[in-house]
Amino acid sequence: MRELKDLARRLLEEGAVKVVIGYEEGPVGVRPVFVTRPADAEKLVFNSKCVQNLAAYLSRRRGHIARLGKPAIVVKGCDARAVAGLIRESQLKREDVVMIGIRCGGVSLQPSEEGPLTPATVADRCGGCESREPKLADHLLGALPPAPPKATRMSELMAQIEKMPVAERFRFWAEQFERCVRCNACREVCPMCFCERCIQDKSQPQWIETSPHARGNLSWHFTHAMHLAGRCSSCDECQRACPAGLPLGLLNRKMAEIVRNRFEYQVSDDPTVPSPIGAFKQQDPQEFIK
Amino acid sequence: MTFSISDSGLNALVDEVIASGTTVIAPAVIKLSAGERREYQKIGSAEKMALTGAIVSNSLKPFIMPPSVPLFRYTRAKAGVSLEPAAGKAQAAVVIGAQACDIAALEIVDRVMDWDYHDEVWFERRKATTVISLACTQADASCFCTAVGSGPDHPRGSDVQFLRKKGGYLARALTETGKAFCAKYGSHFEKVGDDADRDPLIKETREKVETNLKIDLGAIRSFLTRNFDHELWNDFGLRCHGCGACAFACPTCHCFDIVDEPEGITHGVRRRNWDTCQTAKFTVHASGHNPRKDQNSRIRQRVMHKFQIYPERFGDVLCTGCGRCVRVCAGGMNLLEILKVLGKSAEAKS
Amino acid sequence: MSIYQPHLMRVDGIIDENPDTRTLRLVFKDPAMAEQFDFRTGQFGEYSVFGAGECTFCIASPPTRKGYIECSFKKCGKATSGLRDLEVGDEMGFRGPYGNSFPVEQMEGGDIVFIAGGIGLAPVRSVIWNVLDRREKYQNVTIIYGARTTGDLVYKRELEEWSRRADVKLWQTVDPGGETCDWKGQVGFVPAIVEKAAPSSKNAHAVICGPPIMIKFTLPVLSKLGFSDDRVFTTLENRMKCGLGKCGRCNIGEVYVCKDGPVFTAAQLKNLPPEY
Repeated sequence: MRELKDLARRLLEEGAVKVVIGYEEGPVGVRPVFVTRPADAEKLVFNSKCVQNLAAYLSRRRGHIARLGKPAIVVKGCDARAVAGLIRESQLKREDVVMIGIRCGGVSLQPSEEGPLTPATVADRCGGCESREPKLADHLLGALPPAPPKATRMSELMAQIEKMPVAERFRFWAEQFERCVRCNACREVCPMCFCERCIQDKSQPQWIETSPHARGNLSWHFTHAMHLAGRCSSCDECQRACPAGLPLGLLNRKMAEIVRNRFEYQVSDDPTVPSPIGAFKQQDPQEFIK
Repeated sequence: MTFSISDSGLNALVDEVIASGTTVIAPAVIKLSAGERREYQKIGSAEKMALTGAIVSNSLKPFIMPPSVPLFRYTRAKAGVSLEPAAGKAQAAVVIGAQACDIAALEIVDRVMDWDYHDEVWFERRKATTVISLACTQADASCFCTAVGSGPDHPRGSDVQFLRKKGGYLARALTETGKAFCAKYGSHFEKVGDDADRDPLIKETREKVETNLKIDLGAIRSFLTRNFDHELWNDFGLRCHGCGACAFACPTCHCFDIVDEPEGITHGVRRRNWDTCQTAKFTVHASGHNPRKDQNSRIRQRVMHKFQIYPERFGDVLCTGCGRCVRVCAGGMNLLEILKVLGKSAEAKS
Repeated sequence: MSIYQPHLMRVDGIIDENPDTRTLRLVFKDPAMAEQFDFRTGQFGEYSVFGAGECTFCIASPPTRKGYIECSFKKCGKATSGLRDLEVGDEMGFRGPYGNSFPVEQMEGGDIVFIAGGIGLAPVRSVIWNVLDRREKYQNVTIIYGARTTGDLVYKRELEEWSRRADVKLWQTVDPGGETCDWKGQVGFVPAIVEKAAPSSKNAHAVICGPPIMIKFTLPVLSKLGFSDDRVFTTLENRMKCGLGKCGRCNIGEVYVCKDGPVFTAAQLKNLPPEY
């Protein structure tokens, strides 16, 4: 995308930013790239393989990236929601990042999957997306491509689970989590998991057992889903990153649905809208106080 | 001694092994919401075995070194503490159809597990498991077994090696254990097997993998020894998320944690769990000081441990080129690329 | 028995060195083990509080004193909090001895200079007693020990004993501002006191342990005094778990601290990448 390369090069030459966090073609598919030299702006691409949510790289925890200096970041609509989340929760100041929004036609499930997108190859979150033109952006590039096809695997699985009685649902998740080895990829790729010390790492007391057995895994995943409720930007990176192939996006999707119904709130790329659990309003429903 | 076994003969053999009470671990297809994959699994019958299909997505590590293993149980009473060994003896098992990279890994990890202190938790399962490999007839862009001293039909570590042929497999018994296995289940094998019948795809696969990566391991080792502070490490670590996916998918990564898990006020279990040098928590001191504060230093540690430290001490590179670290990485880290860059830098400096 | 299964120990004595630091005297529950247990000075162990976990400390008592081992620690995390809660008579676990040791035989016939800071005196104390229990084998023995304040000094009764011995030259110091009104020792950082004491480096070895910053500033002083790097010994604290070379945690460069260390010469330390 010529405009992207030119903009990145200009931002670096002018010293407006010290690094452009974007995508490049890697040896086995598209992958994140950190461009610090104007000439390297030629590496930047944007296409339907640009699956990754780069917002995770903006966390203050990543000292070696923060030390590079002020970043510009390439964002799709879903990514912009994550950056908005970081701003909303005071992890990032709006003026400390330059957002390069790209008009998006959807991405594939895997960053190695060449287009065109089909219902079988498109990522779960793309069908019906209402943020194809990120509003939180300093620059908005590209022409708006046609809307992406809709994948049905997640909604089908969701419907399947919702038909199950509770005991069966629990068995479904218990079976899934037997495969979890607690690599924490789901935590590390998540832009909203920026805690300096994750609850799993606290030992006095050990709230969440770190062992990859059924009990420890269920504790972790349920806690993780609760900690993300109302904050998760639905990028499904956790699901893509999981080496065991766990349907983690599904848990977060369900939590988002509950938050939508209970709090009339949906995560958006407007950082000024406070999250339901992160803010207190006088009108907050209090029917649980009898 | 090369035998030959037909597809139906192998199925009958596998069912007989299962019926005898021995665990059979083989690649099988599993359907996940994300799609299908082929994984090593404990199978209940020969028909579940999938000896062709995608590159196997897990390694054999979970069967020899499970993600979490109880070391012993403790009970604290007024009279004092008592300890009992955890779980019983390891079950006899046969691995059938494993990739050469996964089997070679077991022998490589044996080195550290036997270093001065004999780790019975590892060796019990090792000794109880007969390993039968199946030479690969496919590879992808992330395979680099040939670059690290292995290969699709490398026999290292296999008790018996299967090589595909028309209608079945050639079977080479390579160790005493392998010979005993073939003798025990001799009714399913035919005595004559001609190596010339092996599937030509095996050779093509080897040639394909060779084009993926060619490196001088010795030169890289020397380079790593002398270039700890090289600026290369600043770039490599940037896209890494610092999770453990690569280490946990890796057949040779073996670092672990030891934790106590109370199961009540007076009793509990001490466990050994998979751990990885890629998390910040791995090296943090009680004082809060962390010798490896950033991902750069952690990536450096991983690469050095595999390609300099382990070979320096044990003679083997701690890697069999299976490519899983590349396939599972959410950040797009690519060990082949890193090794290529290190190789070039080593050349330039010499 | 599995290499990961600890020996059972009974807490035989508890001494509070200062508000933070406690010493436990431990005896083996199994009399046969108590009889046969031996170690070399500088080696460490993994001390278990079942339910809380294991932690790594040097054996602070000398191998010349049989029948018990001692460890000194500060409460900072889960396992050390568990250790702190133990009472005399309670049982806990010990795995060891692990690691290499100070080559005390190699040092015979010459001078030894012991330099320690704060709780760093714990590993050095094992060597000190190992030497003093065989005093005739060594020439001049100098001990230079300092802490931030008088309250932070550990092994006070032993410091007292060493100060009264004619065959030991003891320098005690606290950091400027750390002295109480009745303090009779030196005031100044340990490196400065080492410079003041100026122990002779002729036919001498140095054993040093303390906070990283103390080591950083003391090594050049020793160099200036003429101590060669292969005659200065220190012990490294690094995060450890298994203690026996398998879990990978303590690996620094080519070295596994639990197997190639924890005792290193200054020369070896300078060859290690700065990841400790």
